[in-house]
Amino acid sequence: MHIPDGFLDLSICAMMYLLVIPLWIFALRGMKRVLSDKQVPFMATLTAMFFAAQMMNYPIIGGTTAHLLGGPILAITLGPYAGLISMTIILLIQAFFFGDGGVITFGANAWNMGVVGVFVPYLMFLLFMKVMKNRNGMMVGAFLGALLGDVFAAIFAGLELGLSVFTFPYSVQIAITAMGVHHFFIGLGEGIVTAMIILFLLRQRADLLKLPRVAPLWLSSIGFEEL
Amino acid sequence: MMARNKRLLIFGVIVSAIFVMIGCVWLSSSAETLDMIAEHYGVSERPFWIPLVPGYELPGFEGNIIANMTIGITFTLLILGFTLLVGKALKAER
Repeated sequence: MHIPDGFLDLSICAMMYLLVIPLWIFALRGMKRVLSDKQVPFMATLTAMFFAAQMMNYPIIGGTTAHLLGGPILAITLGPYAGLISMTIILLIQAFFFGDGGVITFGANAWNMGVVGVFVPYLMFLLFMKVMKNRNGMMVGAFLGALLGDVFAAIFAGLELGLSVFTFPYSVQIAITAMGVHHFFIGLGEGIVTAMIILFLLRQRADLLKLPRVAPLWLSSIGFEEL
Repeated sequence: MMARNKRLLIFGVIVSAIFVMIGCVWLSSSAETLDMIAEHYGVSERPFWIPLVPGYELPGFEGNIIANMTIGITFTLLILGFTLLVGKALKAER
């Protein structure tokens, strides 16, 4: 899902930077408010692990391959702000050192995988925790959150491509359909892995799931207390 | 708590190294959906930046699994260290 340079119009790239920069600022401020000593090594470990995990490409439909994004686990365990910063670090290294994703399109990639791919799973996870209030709720929320996170991130990527009329001369509908359908299957894999990691953490290191998350204040104002 | 943190970091490094090895040896072939769509519609990449290690392969060592694994593990450790620094700089003051 890493969009390289040349795929998006410059106006779209600029707009995506404008959307994501305020969120980086909020995230950095939010982390300064809550991030604990205990979460720092956990955040570093997860960021390194998901950078490495993105090097594994497994085959899916139609001769294409996919890799884990990691956003859902980062969001559920660290909160969306630390998740966004972790994903941004991964994407930054990938773009500048490996050419995996562009530099001009970095804002778009950070929005798709760092914002949408992190906030959607986090909100789904909170929703299911609030409704089901048990371990099954955690598992269902983790699975569906990861699935929808991947699909929505792909839909946004398709939207950005579709709106780039000068570089990608095909309709929004074509771009969104192509990206969304493939990423539904990728999301299924991400969902299963996310739910399995949550189950593993519940059994082995439940303390790591009870740490305070760095989350937006507006979540508590609409009835979602931090987990 | 320090010992627990150290164990967590060591666990993370070992698992990451395994991921890199699997990624370099068995699951290295990449054909991402977006690349296939772009190829299908005739859209090509126009790099703005020349990366140090394009496509996760060190120039001159393309296809060399040992070189690819070394690069992968080195950057994993760099990310671990960099994120630790970022986390320490941003952690809440108590």
